[in-house]
Amino acid sequence: MAYALVALGFVLALNAAGAVNFAHGDLVVLGGALASFVGLSIGLPAVLLLPLVAVAIGVVGIIAARIAILPLASRPPEATFVATIALAAIIEQSLTIAMAGAPRTAPALLGGGSFTIAGFVLGRQPLAIVVLGAVLVAAVWFLLERTQTGRRMRAVAADRYMARAVGIPVGRYVILSLALSGALAGVAGFLLGHQFLVAPTQGAGHMLKAYIAVALGGWGSVPGALLGALGIGLFETFAAARFGDAWASAALYICVLAVLALRPRGLFGEPVGRRA
Amino acid sequence: MRLSPFWLILLVLPPLLALFVLPPFGQRMVILAGIYGLMGLGYQLVFGQLGALNLAQGALFGLGAYAAALTAPILGPFALPVAILAAAIPAALVAGPLLRLQSHYFALATLALASLVNLSAVHAESLTGGANGLAGFATSLPRGPALLATVWVCLIAGVLLYAWLFEGKLGERARLLREAPLLAATLGIDGAAWRFVAFVVGGALAGLAGACSAALSGVVSPEATGFSIMVLCLTLVVLGGSRHPMGAVVGAALAVGLPELLRDLQGAWLLAYAVATLAVVLWAPEGLAGLIDRLRGARPAPAEPPGLPDVLPAVGGPKTLVLEGVGKRFGGVEALADVSLWLARGEVLGLIGANGSGKSTLLNVINALERADTGLIALDKLRIERLSTPEIARAGIARTFQTLALAGDSKMADLARAVATGAPFLLLDEPAAGAGDHERRELVGIIRRLRDAGRGVLIVDHDIELLSRVCDRLVCLDRGRVIASGRPADVRADPHVRASFLGLDGIAA
Repeated sequence: MAYALVALGFVLALNAAGAVNFAHGDLVVLGGALASFVGLSIGLPAVLLLPLVAVAIGVVGIIAARIAILPLASRPPEATFVATIALAAIIEQSLTIAMAGAPRTAPALLGGGSFTIAGFVLGRQPLAIVVLGAVLVAAVWFLLERTQTGRRMRAVAADRYMARAVGIPVGRYVILSLALSGALAGVAGFLLGHQFLVAPTQGAGHMLKAYIAVALGGWGSVPGALLGALGIGLFETFAAARFGDAWASAALYICVLAVLALRPRGLFGEPVGRRA
Repeated sequence: MRLSPFWLILLVLPPLLALFVLPPFGQRMVILAGIYGLMGLGYQLVFGQLGALNLAQGALFGLGAYAAALTAPILGPFALPVAILAAAIPAALVAGPLLRLQSHYFALATLALASLVNLSAVHAESLTGGANGLAGFATSLPRGPALLATVWVCLIAGVLLYAWLFEGKLGERARLLREAPLLAATLGIDGAAWRFVAFVVGGALAGLAGACSAALSGVVSPEATGFSIMVLCLTLVVLGGSRHPMGAVVGAALAVGLPELLRDLQGAWLLAYAVATLAVVLWAPEGLAGLIDRLRGARPAPAEPPGLPDVLPAVGGPKTLVLEGVGKRFGGVEALADVSLWLARGEVLGLIGANGSGKSTLLNVINALERADTGLIALDKLRIERLSTPEIARAGIARTFQTLALAGDSKMADLARAVATGAPFLLLDEPAAGAGDHERRELVGIIRRLRDAGRGVLIVDHDIELLSRVCDRLVCLDRGRVIASGRPADVRADPHVRASFLGLDGIAA
């Protein structure tokens, strides 16, 4: 479910920016690192920590939009790719310096331990992740589909020039999308940060999984990205349980390559003429 | 972009200094810069010239490094060619399906591929030594002058070759392929072949660089295949200048030099490097090498404004273009049905019809931007309906477009480009759209000159007056079918044409 949040944020940024945000994975890591940092040093309760992380990484998303995405809007998508890769490197290196190389753990959302329902043992944290993830996905869906702001965000994503022509301040909505994308990345980082350790070099891995989810689920499609992420999560869990982590990852990459070789436009295709 | 003496000196200076002046430590740095330069130079071919974001260059570098580490104890210096092949062959194998992909899928596929290589490096322990990597192997070349000479001779040769190759025509073609692939195809540039060569040669250079790095460090670990090498390669190329012949060298020099300059800051050099890259992307897209050229005042002279000579030279090639029974469907829509027409050299044929009658589709089918479902198209006896767009262009058909493909382009430049290919047949898609009276007169003159020079012209336009003046014959399409053809006056008088195209009352007639 945490993958779903990563992928959801990724696809929002993708649609708004019109190009892949390679720094997205590092925003996730940044969220985890921030959570562990503040959580451990101040001991803030998770209920307060969560919104704090979301807001902070949302602000980072805004900064990313301001420096690496909006100024390059009129250039080919490769320019944005490179700028966000540079941004990713900046975040990763800053974190490496700040964390002094030692991986950390983010605090749990509902405290540790587990409880039993009808014979199934459930960890509190996994349960918290699923519930929180579902709530956030629903909230984003509501925002995009049921509010004027969301409609405008989708208009900007679908056709930037047309959106500008009907009077939508495109820049502002791109920034808003990136803020939302960042906030989701931060929350995802927080959640993942308790399950796994937080290390600065994980960013590329997170980004790659979100990228794969979006490519498999249909480029730029929000529900597609969610399905893709859930699919990847399940696939990895089961494959890892049977064959080990390394084989699970290898199989995932091979699947992606096979899909791209057979369906050069993605599993479900994409509207013709769409900009990358 | 021939290399100026300024750059030549900068290019030759580091290895000479390293050989005769610098202490071993400095020599090592110069070798490392040369290695990064080689990898970056290879990357420039794919990323710089063709604009494709290849994220597998780091993995190919790693393949070269492992191949060299594994074979050097047996083969000695011959491990280097083996390493080149170890990178180039996999690159050639995956190139086919990979290079068909659009930009973001291409990036993803190369990234997945690179991750696979990295995963294998970590987990195939018996071969690669696992996470610890390989160490203590006999290197292919002794560290020091031999390695230095090998690396820099290759690099200097590569840079000079690159500068020579991409000066002038080849560079222009690469630009066209990058910025307007469709237009490039209609001018006879085979993008697929270009991408293949660039990808494989770029990979080979990465392999060589990897092998040299194995010789230099004596250690190869999975990191050599990792994302950080890839990011380093990408950033150094962007920082130096992704197309400038010296871009990779400048970037590599910084990548090696910065950590020394910022040694007090410990790990912060990578941070500074990334910040610098971002700044270059934002403010100096041509890179530092290009920026230095600009500051030196050495800019290439602006191109001559396009124009046509008064008398066009005659061209050789096929004599007739024939279409027979050509059909094309888009889903349930019949865009073209049983269209037959012919065009001889020295003749101007006008194609008219209401919007959506299939005029542009017909042009697209002739030069294979769309595939005809049925029928045959031939230049003299050569069947061309199954050829690719570049092949058809080289067989003798050029075209212009309704909408311009390049920034700063003009309709006249588009026309000049098509004429300049020397193709005996020209397809002009709405050349008069948006043109003023003066330009229309000029256009009429040009088309007449083309006819006099023995070119065959097929012209689509809405300006029926203009077509009547310049065309020998007109063909009228209605919902994908030919409903009339013949002399302009006859076609305009045809009742079907008046009903379909001119309106029942014949407003424009």
